[in-house]
Amino acid sequence: MKQNKLSYKIRQYILFAGPGTALFLAVVIVPFIYGLYLTLTSWDGVSKTKEFVGLENLAAAFKDADYWHAMLRTVIYSVFAVVFINIVSFALAYLVTQGIKGQNFFRAGFFVPNLIGGIVLGYIWKFVFNRAFVAIFSSTSLLSTTNGAMFCLILVSVWQYAGYMMLIYVAGFMSVSKDVQEASKIDGCTPSQSMRHVIIPLMRSSFVQCIFLSITRCFVVYDVNLSLTKGGPAGTSVMAAMHVYNQAFTYKNYGLGQSEAVILFAVCAIVGVTQVLIGKRGEVEA
Amino acid sequence: MKKVLAITLALLMVFAITACGGKTGSSGVSITIFNSKMEIQSQMEDMAKEYSKAKGVDVEVYYSSDTVAAHLSTRYASNDPYTISMVDAKDVYALAADHAVDLSDQEWVENTTQAITIDGKTYGFPVCVEARGIIYNAEAIEKVTGTAFDPTTIKTTADFQKLIDQLIAGGMATPTGVMNEDWSLAAHYLAEVYEQHDDPDAFIASIKDGSVKLIDDAKFNAMMDTFDVLKANNYAKDAAISAEREVTEQKLAEGEIAFMFGGNWDWSVINAYEYSEKMGIMPVPNDSGDGSSDKLVGGGSKYFFIDSSDNTSDEQRQAAKDFLNWLVNDADGQDFIVNQCALVPAFSNITLDVQDPLGASVKKYADDNALIGNYNYLPDDHYAKCGASFQKYLAGQIDRAGFANEITTYWATAEVGEH
Repeated sequence: MKQNKLSYKIRQYILFAGPGTALFLAVVIVPFIYGLYLTLTSWDGVSKTKEFVGLENLAAAFKDADYWHAMLRTVIYSVFAVVFINIVSFALAYLVTQGIKGQNFFRAGFFVPNLIGGIVLGYIWKFVFNRAFVAIFSSTSLLSTTNGAMFCLILVSVWQYAGYMMLIYVAGFMSVSKDVQEASKIDGCTPSQSMRHVIIPLMRSSFVQCIFLSITRCFVVYDVNLSLTKGGPAGTSVMAAMHVYNQAFTYKNYGLGQSEAVILFAVCAIVGVTQVLIGKRGEVEA
Repeated sequence: MKKVLAITLALLMVFAITACGGKTGSSGVSITIFNSKMEIQSQMEDMAKEYSKAKGVDVEVYYSSDTVAAHLSTRYASNDPYTISMVDAKDVYALAADHAVDLSDQEWVENTTQAITIDGKTYGFPVCVEARGIIYNAEAIEKVTGTAFDPTTIKTTADFQKLIDQLIAGGMATPTGVMNEDWSLAAHYLAEVYEQHDDPDAFIASIKDGSVKLIDDAKFNAMMDTFDVLKANNYAKDAAISAEREVTEQKLAEGEIAFMFGGNWDWSVINAYEYSEKMGIMPVPNDSGDGSSDKLVGGGSKYFFIDSSDNTSDEQRQAAKDFLNWLVNDADGQDFIVNQCALVPAFSNITLDVQDPLGASVKKYADDNALIGNYNYLPDDHYAKCGASFQKYLAGQIDRAGFANEITTYWATAEVGEH
């Protein structure tokens, strides 16, 4: 049998990648396309009929001031969270690759927050902010002010993701071979110089990965948002994903909510892909 | 040898498949019930077992913590609806036309004032009665004042303020608690402003067209005056917006505070603590002088409807109707609602005593016909958007005029549900 015939290739593909492709189609692509179709209807989520309304929902989504406020809030939150997640996780990764005593224990320890589900984690921190801190400092709760609630969200996200990103950075540190590090030392680099000019450039792919992951996760944050602040106080910490959920399910504007979800997806995809493209461009190899 | 093994396995599989498919009730009819009241799920499951045994109808109970409408929509989308679904009043209005069976010919319709009827057809079976007002802890009050507390003496905001002052003088520094949840503030407290008008529809319409200025409305101001008293004496005054419901209810249950706006459903939270037996619900005192301070606001809460689609057979529908009748007319069914689930029954022929103190208060007002009905047609985003405004008011970020203004702005574009 000729191995370069199209039918052969197709058969091979179906044999090996077929199940995966079928699943991917069934749970990602088909729902996504169906979702796109729903943005063109005025469906309320329950009724039998799905009235076709064209691009009305999209127009309404652009006019939904609450949505864009939520979007702006998400962007602000993401910028802070992404920056701090990466700074903290990089610092942690640096610390636990220096051969300090019990570093495996620390690696595991910093990673644990990531194993706690977002909902539970939100409730734990809610208790900390609302009761523990209030009792210790006898102040009012941070969660009762707008900026405070945003600060808490960012703090909790950093705490949650830093350990996860740390693992990727740890792998990055390990992949920088010892010889180039030693070579830089022999060439007279101070430790900070060798970090700046040798290690970090070689770890660029770790940065690209971590920043991409943290951006996409922050943009669609929902669980922590729900359990920690529930959008409060007075709806000033409602993030885009939560607004989308409310719009679709609570306010029963499924089509409008779906349109807003698509916009959120587009924004998220554009930001993520741009970042990866820029990041990849400057990648170097030793 | 291999052949024998293969045949055995094949037979086993066939057996397993038929065993799965062959599961039916003793009379062949099985019905499913969707329960959306989390606190009675275990009672529902026990009841289903007993009922299946006694009546020969297989009953299975399901619960979901999802939004009711969202959950049902997924079931309908997959052509697998429940035979009987427990939903909120607004869901009956949204779903009945497409999905519910007309129950007008049922006996129990005459025994209740709370069933949901649309265009002359009854679709919703009221599961229980729930009502709102100020929850008080009489034991805590009497401990400070030394005299028996009679909630019916508190009619006006001034009466309420006087009692609060007395409590403060007696050593209870902060006699009230305020729930900051948007549903409590907007769907329950603010909604009373609409509901206490003789014609809520007309009142909302007049706010929409601007012929009534909310800030000049007597009812709005009367209710907000009382709210101000609650707010000013709140134990969590400085952090009103982050106070937790459980803490507030615990303080009320244990008598650290004496008053909180809420409803009889709060009992499911209060009874987790060392509560006082001498609690109850009284109407929100206010100065509008229209008798509203003699009445609680509330009515039927949670409704059963029976699925009308082809996915449900006529036998199943009949079994479902029998089940609803059993709840109302059978001693066991009545016992289930009142004693097992501690709900306030919505039917006049059920005369069992309600056990929990808050429910007993509600039953008393309901029996005296002193309930102002729920307004079930508020838009779905009302509680979230107006709730956010109310939270700002509670936190002191806006004043009453600013609050009225935001509510008016909300109504400029919002539409009440069809009814």
